[in-house]
Amino acid sequence: MRYENRQIPEGINVSTEHPLKEFSALLLSLVVLVGAVVVGLSVLAAYAAPLVPFHVEQKIVEQTGSDWLQADPLSVEQQAVKQYLKTLGSALEANMELPEAMTLTVHYSDSELVNAFATLGGHIVIHRGLLREMPHENALAMVMAHEIAHIKYRHPIVASGRGLTVGLALAAVGGFTDSSATGLLINILGSGSMSSFSRGQESEADAEALKALLAHYGHVNGAADLFKALHDRTEPSKLLEFFGTHPADRKRIAAIEQFSLNISQGSTQPFPESVLKAVH
Amino acid sequence: MIISNIEVIPGRQVATHLGMVQGNTVRAKHAGKDIMAGFKNIFGGELKSYTELLTEAREEAVARMIRQAESIGANAVLNVRFSTSSISAGAAELFAYGTAVVLEE
Amino acid sequence: MLLNLTIFLCLVFLGYVFGRHAEKKHFESILERENQYKALLAFSARFPPADMAISESKLVGGTVVISIDYFKRLAAGLRNIFGGPVTSYESLIERARREAILRMKEEAIAMGAEMIINVKLETSSITKGAGDQVGAVEVYAYGTALKH
Repeated sequence: MRYENRQIPEGINVSTEHPLKEFSALLLSLVVLVGAVVVGLSVLAAYAAPLVPFHVEQKIVEQTGSDWLQADPLSVEQQAVKQYLKTLGSALEANMELPEAMTLTVHYSDSELVNAFATLGGHIVIHRGLLREMPHENALAMVMAHEIAHIKYRHPIVASGRGLTVGLALAAVGGFTDSSATGLLINILGSGSMSSFSRGQESEADAEALKALLAHYGHVNGAADLFKALHDRTEPSKLLEFFGTHPADRKRIAAIEQFSLNISQGSTQPFPESVLKAVH
Repeated sequence: MIISNIEVIPGRQVATHLGMVQGNTVRAKHAGKDIMAGFKNIFGGELKSYTELLTEAREEAVARMIRQAESIGANAVLNVRFSTSSISAGAAELFAYGTAVVLEE
Repeated sequence: MLLNLTIFLCLVFLGYVFGRHAEKKHFESILERENQYKALLAFSARFPPADMAISESKLVGGTVVISIDYFKRLAAGLRNIFGGPVTSYESLIERARREAILRMKEEAIAMGAEMIINVKLETSSITKGAGDQVGAVEVYAYGTALKH
């Protein structure tokens, strides 16, 4: 009996393929999978979420009790601004044919944030920081009408429904991989579409807002002025544009200008003195 | 190729011992099957997809061990052993090893 | 969001570059030492050669813990979603097993043995890669070293 150890060739137990090749194939499959999940559930949410009655939506907000519902008490000066926003809101709402059951609540937040948003239960929040950027009333009316349009089309509940279902689906897939790295990757891929309203919804709200402005003022001049001001101030970034859901300012401005081509022109309304003083 | 987990093949003589040969593989089932297995855990019973996974992995490990044995000119692998460990949940890691030998005709 | 993405991409990139470099170096070193210890024979057969006069026999063993890099972890996680062979773990285990056998051989060479019989391998996962931990495997190779 002879004893010897022979040299075993390499590559039987280990794949000799370049790891990046397999990785890119897997990554591509994951992008397709996440894309399919997001698109599928978004379509489902768009159909199913508006079936939730509006009063149920209001209940959800009351029970979760977000902090802007019990905002800090406003000073007399700021109260006046809030009253002004409410009046403008109702004036616009009158032109927008909101369903019977819907109620609109305008909130004013005394904070530096350059932001305004619409959320569940017909609540619209406008921050002082945004008001300060406003060149005139028409620009503000455009933003408010845009947020009212979101509520009219039930966008907040659609977005929440989509966020919830997509989040659950991705967590289910990510959770079973037992790898935080993969979970993180799935989150990053999924978050682009989950965060807030989709681009389609934003464009829909813009179009509706322009109609409301036309009905209220008889023209849409100045509607794009806020976007122009913000656009000039910030560096446009391709990456942010990909992750952000608001259509790029340029495209919004172009859409608004397109709309105003064949309609009557007019001059913009300045803010009342008291509002200007309180905001600045 | 003769595979055995005893030292000798009855009626045959070992001419040359060639040393250890090994085959290993790590395999996973897709997430859908993992999720279904998770549900199955509530009711108990055989997890068919995992049985299948381990069978496939074991066959692959043996196949790789045989390829190693063939590549060094052996015609039998004796004293074959299996070992398994779980590197990550949902993936099966199978390892087969034995002594490659040349049997006399 | 962007910060998360940046950290994530950095980790993946670092994992890939360093992990691949380390793996290449390790395989080179394994091949070199395997060649060096070629004279020491290793078998999983249980009985010593009948005609061998043995002066000393002793249990020898070698152990190693090898961890996976961030890139491979991600690749394995992706593979877990779609199913199939997890190649990134396969190379990890191959490295660990061969390294453990080499360390066992080093111990046998130190005592002047010519042959190791009844070699067995044990694999265990120290961390299963749960949570934020990185997956690592421990391999222990052991056998009986024989000396003329």
